Amino acid sequence: MKNIIKYYVFTFVLLGLVSCEDFVDIEPLNQVNSENYFNSEDDYQQALIGAYDLLQSSYINVMIGEIASDNTLCGGENANDVVGLQEIDDMTHGVVNEQLRSVWQWMYAGVNRANYIFEFRDKTDFADKDNVLGQAAFLRAYYFFELTKFFGDVPMPVDKRVQFGDEKDLVRTPQAQVFAQIETDLAFAASVLPETQAQKGRVTKGAAMALLGKAYLFQNKFGEAAQVLEDLIGMDIYQLHDNYDNLFLQQNENNIESVFEIQYSNLEGAGFGCLQCSEGNVAVGFNGVRGITGPTYATGFSFNVPTQDLVDAFEAGDGRYRATIFDVEAYKAEMAVQGIEIDYNEGFEHTGYFNHKYIPRQGESFQDPNLTNSTNYRSIRYSDVLLMAAEALNRGGISDDRARAYLNQVRQRASLGPVDASGSALTDAIWQDRRIELAGEGHRFFDLVRIGQAASAIPGFQANKNELFPIPLIELELAGSNWAQNDGY
Amino acid sequence: MKKIIPILALLFLTSSTIWAQFQVTGTVISTEDNLPIIGASILEKGTTNGVVTDLDGKYAITVGSAESIIQFSYTGLETVEFVVGQRNTIDVNMSPSQNVLDEVVVIGYGTSSKKELTGAVNVVSADEIEALNPTRLEQALQGQGSGVQISSQSGSPGGGFNIRIRGISTNGDNRPLILVDGVRYEDLSALDPADIESVNVLKDATASIYGVQAANGVILITTKKGKKNSKPRVNFDAYIGQQETSRKIPVLNATEYAILVNESYANGGSIPPFNTVSGLGTGTDWQDEVFQTAPIQSYNLSVNGGGDKIGYSVGGAAFTQDGIVGGDKASFERYSANVGITADLTDRLVFDTKLIYSHQRRKTLNENAIGSVLFNALNMAPTMTPFDENGDFTLANGLGNEVVNPLQQIANTHNNVFVNRVFGNASLQYTIMDGLSFKTKMGFNFSNVRAKSFAPIANYGLGKVFNTVESSVSESQELFYGYQWDNILSYNKTYNDVHTVKVTLGTSLQEERYEGLYATGFGIPNNDVEFADLSQATEIRPNGANSGQGQFRLASAFGRLEYGYNLKYLASLIVRRDGTSRFGPENRFGTFAAGSLAWVLTEEDFLKDSEVIDFLKLRLSYGVSGNDKIRDFGYVSTLSGEGTYVFDGGTLVEGTAIGALPNPEIRWERNKQFNAGIDLYLLNGDLTMSLDYFNKENQDLLLAVPVSGTNGTAGPGGGVPLANAGSIRNTGFELSIGYQKQITEDLNVNFNYNVTRLNNETLSLNDGVAFIQGGQFGIGQLPPTRWEVGQPIGYFYGYETDGIFQNQSEVDAGPSQQNASVGDLRYVDQNGDGAITVDDRVKIGSPIPDYIMGFSFGVNWKGFDMSALADAQIGNELVRNYERNLPLTNKTAYYKERWHGANTTTYFPRMTIGANDNDLFSDFWVEKGDYLRVKNVQLGYTLPSSLMKSIGVSKLRIYGSINNLFTFTAYQGYDPNISSGDPLNAGIDIGYYPQARVYMLGVNANF
Repeated sequence: MKNIIKYYVFTFVLLGLVSCEDFVDIEPLNQVNSENYFNSEDDYQQALIGAYDLLQSSYINVMIGEIASDNTLCGGENANDVVGLQEIDDMTHGVVNEQLRSVWQWMYAGVNRANYIFEFRDKTDFADKDNVLGQAAFLRAYYFFELTKFFGDVPMPVDKRVQFGDEKDLVRTPQAQVFAQIETDLAFAASVLPETQAQKGRVTKGAAMALLGKAYLFQNKFGEAAQVLEDLIGMDIYQLHDNYDNLFLQQNENNIESVFEIQYSNLEGAGFGCLQCSEGNVAVGFNGVRGITGPTYATGFSFNVPTQDLVDAFEAGDGRYRATIFDVEAYKAEMAVQGIEIDYNEGFEHTGYFNHKYIPRQGESFQDPNLTNSTNYRSIRYSDVLLMAAEALNRGGISDDRARAYLNQVRQRASLGPVDASGSALTDAIWQDRRIELAGEGHRFFDLVRIGQAASAIPGFQANKNELFPIPLIELELAGSNWAQNDGY
Repeated sequence: MKKIIPILALLFLTSSTIWAQFQVTGTVISTEDNLPIIGASILEKGTTNGVVTDLDGKYAITVGSAESIIQFSYTGLETVEFVVGQRNTIDVNMSPSQNVLDEVVVIGYGTSSKKELTGAVNVVSADEIEALNPTRLEQALQGQGSGVQISSQSGSPGGGFNIRIRGISTNGDNRPLILVDGVRYEDLSALDPADIESVNVLKDATASIYGVQAANGVILITTKKGKKNSKPRVNFDAYIGQQETSRKIPVLNATEYAILVNESYANGGSIPPFNTVSGLGTGTDWQDEVFQTAPIQSYNLSVNGGGDKIGYSVGGAAFTQDGIVGGDKASFERYSANVGITADLTDRLVFDTKLIYSHQRRKTLNENAIGSVLFNALNMAPTMTPFDENGDFTLANGLGNEVVNPLQQIANTHNNVFVNRVFGNASLQYTIMDGLSFKTKMGFNFSNVRAKSFAPIANYGLGKVFNTVESSVSESQELFYGYQWDNILSYNKTYNDVHTVKVTLGTSLQEERYEGLYATGFGIPNNDVEFADLSQATEIRPNGANSGQGQFRLASAFGRLEYGYNLKYLASLIVRRDGTSRFGPENRFGTFAAGSLAWVLTEEDFLKDSEVIDFLKLRLSYGVSGNDKIRDFGYVSTLSGEGTYVFDGGTLVEGTAIGALPNPEIRWERNKQFNAGIDLYLLNGDLTMSLDYFNKENQDLLLAVPVSGTNGTAGPGGGVPLANAGSIRNTGFELSIGYQKQITEDLNVNFNYNVTRLNNETLSLNDGVAFIQGGQFGIGQLPPTRWEVGQPIGYFYGYETDGIFQNQSEVDAGPSQQNASVGDLRYVDQNGDGAITVDDRVKIGSPIPDYIMGFSFGVNWKGFDMSALADAQIGNELVRNYERNLPLTNKTAYYKERWHGANTTTYFPRMTIGANDNDLFSDFWVEKGDYLRVKNVQLGYTLPSSLMKSIGVSKLRIYGSINNLFTFTAYQGYDPNISSGDPLNAGIDIGYYPQARVYMLGVNANF
């Protein structure tokens, strides 16, 4: 007995003194340590999917691009439904704004995921690596482009993740340098990516060139913009889809006109607690008509409602009107003729119009229907490429003839006659057509700012202030309060 | 030891009986259970002549003369004396020792007595627990001791409770460490309250003996054990009861609703929807539709006893409870069994074990959220009937996307959780020499948690967020298991009769593991719950199945030195070193220490003979403990994020992404606590008082801190890092007063009162951040709570109102306020910039009470006993957030007082469906949360033992009892004692499931 106890005490003293360190030194079970990754092509491919993921969260950028502009009003249930969007609509947004913080957080999440790949770019070699890196470079450029569009000078971590504590060392990089990085990434992507990818939805050479052209245009680098955009047009990969009416329906996803399309699915549920986690297009549910009945449309939250001003901007006979504007009363009357009664509820700032390009239709979502609509966002369409090329050629004084030709190509598809203007009249015509062609697609506010018409077009817009959105105060604080706020906020 | 004393006594005394002149015989009975006492000592006073009682409690002693005095004594019982006189038979009833100072107090790896205690400890005994018939142990702690705040997370059957010891000290995990028989055990739902012997709450720095886990206080639960040398005793306790809601919230009836809805449409410039209000009557009372009376029952049978070398206890219990909302759709059942054995293997080696098995079944409804059953019952239009003319559920069309028919919601809800648990411990204690012993103890727990929920295809109406177009079943199977191995060396010796030294040295190794499997299947045949099983599902999607694992380890060494001089000066010193796997290699190990002192003034000459003061002790303690309650592996970065995208027109493609951002630097949180206390006993110990002051500062709080967006944590499956940020101070006073008096032989009364004053202040936050926001109010509104330096954590932040705009000139004269119109709430322009903006929000309340109190009262007269317990909170605010306020949702009854013309009210705004800002988070929605609740009233009768004995029953008590009888409060919501447990969402009432009022009839019997 005594001996047993002696041994026991001895063992326990030994355990206590020697192996405590080892005892508590354990590794996470069945979880890959992020620092021991990138050991195969598959690892790179998987990390790349992770970097794509945040594209889906840019639905909020698209909504803000419309709501902030003269195209739509915020809407919603009441004056305080999603306060952040209401304030942006009214140009009263300040430094506390949940939605602007979401843009900031989600786009940087995308940047970090892309940078994670570049941080380990040299670890393992494989045949198709350039394709992976090209896509990652495009994604990083896409996220930075969104950030600089919203916030101007932004912190620009490149090729490494921002670890906890590193955020306090970041500075706001001048927008010109951010654009330079975007150009570098896109030029690289365009040089290594194929014209078509095996899977629909992946970034292609054309997408990189189009976004590069857009980046040049945003800097008024008309020569470079025209060059790359006309190169793209000359590659003859894309053409205008013949029917604008059904261009935005799910049957026409990834069509011949889609240069870059953000892919959504309704196969996973979602919740309000993590909107960025949804695999669906959250904006579509938000845009829907409140409580609408009938066989075609599904209900939504009545946000992002088109203004009369936008409706009036359509030329008579414009073939794009029906596909762009959903006039709920007109629809109700039409259906009544067929003997079907349609009901719906009016939301806040009801105009009677809804965004017909991105509106929920029956059967498009299953679980959590308002948050999981599967309609893809047509991020860069060929018509956008044509209009950007036209603008660059015209404003750069390169060729009004070619500019006019591109514009008329877009107008022709809309069943409108050609314009024969040139010079600044042609510029105005291009801008007017750009508004109509791309209405509801999230470009308007940034185009107005870019061409200097925001102050005149948007009620409440204060020049030298509202061109940029404020960096959310909490984001300034969390990064150590080292950065100046944007002017006027 | 106990058995040794009588044997020794026997040996010692047999020789002196030859001078016998008088023989006295009799039986010694315990008044506690009317059972014979085995081994009680009987001594002829002034001699060494003595005997002990036999197995039937009988004795025989021969004494010198009729004047001899016989003394009866037994550990834990009051010693009694009799003059023999001419009697030959003396039967003795011995009752428990009334000296509270000898009461055993469990202090962690050992025990102390109230007399010797140097720390601040609450003790709750089995009697006090039994008197309350709690469904969970936490309920029995409420109001029972100072410094402990209990709030309900939900009144639904099986719902949890928040335990806060001396305030809220972090935005992270505030739960105290809970140990059952010395083994860490977190989930009290599995414990049968009737199996608990005592609960001790370590509130001050003396809890540091538990080191890195002790910062939120420590609760030590001791379960019941069999006693050696006692006859088998059978206990049977049972009650049955009926539950009902303790409150309904007044809402509009159909006619009132239609009138006010019409008014709000007219005010909003729209056509009123009700052409006529006549004939609508009172309509449907949706609260009556969802609330019901529901049964509750509890049965407990146990046997305990023991022989020379063995003590045993065996018990079983069954408990079932249906919900006052949803009936058996929201129910809780617990079946448990336990066995305990204490055995002297040799003279020096004692084996002890306790095993508990518990099986639980819980069903739940959607509760405590926007769109929960009760939320819908409050917001559903009273003009709607539960069923339409076809007998189908009426669809709540037009009422808003979250408001649905609550009866339909109940019918479509199928959430089940089954838990099987085995836990317990076994130990061996070896007495090396007198005063020195070694104990090794293995505790373990094993839980299997199986959950299954079925969501049928359901249509609640147009655009409802709960609509499902596919049926699905989700199942999960989780295993939690772990062990705790303690080795303790104890030394206890008194030198020169005055120097008492106790030394405790020990080590502890702990491990907890978790494994889970999760899957969701779609397409259940026939949309029928009968087929709700993964095996029947027609489709399991990518991401539809998942698994998870977790692991945690703790290695510790600790020591405690207690020194007492003549029971006058007492000191204790505690040191503990912990290593935890939750921190990185650099920060794993930490050392914690505490010291305490006590001075018993009544042992000093100047007070020793005081007629007034029976006992007076001053206590001081200071020490540092830690908190490691964070997720595992927060210091490493893993690919646990979600990286899912879509290619080829709808195919989900799985990628990888980094999970929560790591912080290699995290270390334990430190709690520095100072305590000063006085214990004072007066009136021969009938009146007891304790007063404590505490100052508790938690530094380097372990928090999931908000971080810059540039860190990329907001991506799907990502997460903020854990970091040591911020500090909070809780200061306060605790006062407990107890009075008990044996007025006559048949009449005994007792009163107890305790009050805690709490002051919570944030001292710092993570660098550079002015405040952290949280909580949710309404939909789409700014976060309503803040955590800010200089303020209590989670205070309410919104607009201050200044009455109602009575006329247009007031609107015009005031600062510009969006959508303002006559009859609207007028907000205060705090910064005087002439406009009401988000910058005008201020502090409008705090969810943390200034005072918490408990009050109990008991009286025993002959066989009757009566008791009552109440608890109270004063000084906190609550937020009404259960009103959806859409054009056609129902409204609470106070809208009858709405503004409807100049000077009709200065408080309630007009009703309109037009644009208005009355729903913004303002003090209009904030109410005083003060309450006093009569938690329990009980009347019992114990049948005369003379009567019972003839039928073999030693004690039979029957009683009637009411829980949550009445709540005095001005708060309008269901239940003021309710909280989500999240410090930044505390006090925001989304229509919390109230704690039921329960009427019970019960019986306690011993055989």
